Amino acid sequence: MKLKKLFKILLLVGFISTSANALKQDEIQDIMTKKIDNVLTILEQKNLPTNKKGEQIIKIIDEVFDYELMARIALGKETWDTLSEPKQKKFTKIFETKLKNSYIEKLELYNDQKVKILGLNPYKNGRLQLETELLGKEGSYKINYNFYNKSKDNNEQWLIYDVDLVGVSIIQTYRQQFAGLLKEKTFDEMLVLLEKPNTK
Amino acid sequence: MKNLIFILLLLTFSFANENNDTNNNDFDNEFDSEFSTNNEEIFDPLSGYNRIMTTFNDKTFIYVLNPISKGYAYITPEPIRIGINNFFENIMFPVRLTNNLLQLKFQNSTEELGRFLVNTLWGLAGFLDPATNELHMNAHKEDFGQTLGFYGVGQGFHVVLPFLGPSNLRDIAGLVGDAFVSPLTITGDGDIQYKIPNTFEQQMAIQGVNAINSNSLKLGQYESLKKDALDLYPFLRDIYTQARKKQIEE
Repeated sequence: MKLKKLFKILLLVGFISTSANALKQDEIQDIMTKKIDNVLTILEQKNLPTNKKGEQIIKIIDEVFDYELMARIALGKETWDTLSEPKQKKFTKIFETKLKNSYIEKLELYNDQKVKILGLNPYKNGRLQLETELLGKEGSYKINYNFYNKSKDNNEQWLIYDVDLVGVSIIQTYRQQFAGLLKEKTFDEMLVLLEKPNTK
Repeated sequence: MKNLIFILLLLTFSFANENNDTNNNDFDNEFDSEFSTNNEEIFDPLSGYNRIMTTFNDKTFIYVLNPISKGYAYITPEPIRIGINNFFENIMFPVRLTNNLLQLKFQNSTEELGRFLVNTLWGLAGFLDPATNELHMNAHKEDFGQTLGFYGVGQGFHVVLPFLGPSNLRDIAGLVGDAFVSPLTITGDGDIQYKIPNTFEQQMAIQGVNAINSNSLKLGQYESLKKDALDLYPFLRDIYTQARKKQIEE
């Protein structure tokens, strides 16, 4: 009897943990539209302080980003493989924080704008790209979210591994910066630079 | 029952392991090849000068252009500034049309021509943008640098221009071409009738107003972008190169 219960709980836990953030291909556009709408609603709340807005927004979008993969691509396989596991974890954490801070800060600038979802299109190597357009005061900007399927079996789990702002890939940009810095600095020195709060 | 759970657990674990080990290598390589290689040397013979000019431009932006733009934004209502911005966009139509035509983008050329007529006639000489807002005709920004790229001209090395910012050999050549066609310069005065400024001073004044007005609608964007840089010069160089590449592909 007890075992049965345990089994049920196990099943349930397994079920919840897979369904919570496993985005299917045909859900991407709907769910992202909802998420972006929610983000815009939060941004419109004028009396909410920025850091509170940021927290709420991060909650909405967190589950669709694969920060670990982003960190790995940004650093490049070669460097990543030379790091010990705790170092890899530390780097991922710092990089994730950097991305989030930068994102929240940008949101502050774009608080009365509209986003148009243009559509989900096939991208390199069977991956997908969600094209969106931000309508600003003096023109519109293309923002594209690149998705890949993390799951290797039939279950789909689509996650974002890169964001493209007017043709500039965020991950590519960090990749070039890291590569440039690592020519002159050690990894630890670079990590300090990355961790430093944005004060300049 | 116990066995079943055990098997289930075992299955999940072995599965997780498989996911982590065997697939990760291909998978990493696959992503690594999508992005440009780290070891690629960027040919940047002017990097010393470029760094200094980047600092100069940065300081000019923060201490000169930005304070002026902020003061101007304070006294000028936003709808007027958007109107002026539309006006400048509209009047630069010859540059867009010429380059759309040179790149054989006839559909876009027609749309540009349509936009110019609609906005000039029904948009108070370009202060309003009914073409975009009512007719959903989008602008197709093309310049000579993109046209050269379209015909396979390589970018050459990176050059940071005073006041204008990141550029490269190809785009500098492009700027000369654009200046010739643009109504807001005096370049090619004798051949082209629609030039607005008569002297170099007038040209600089017009460009100055345009720069201040345009920047007043983008306040804070540069500072925010700058915070993402671990090292400002290569950061600006790389995003410029990526953005231009994308613009040329489109």
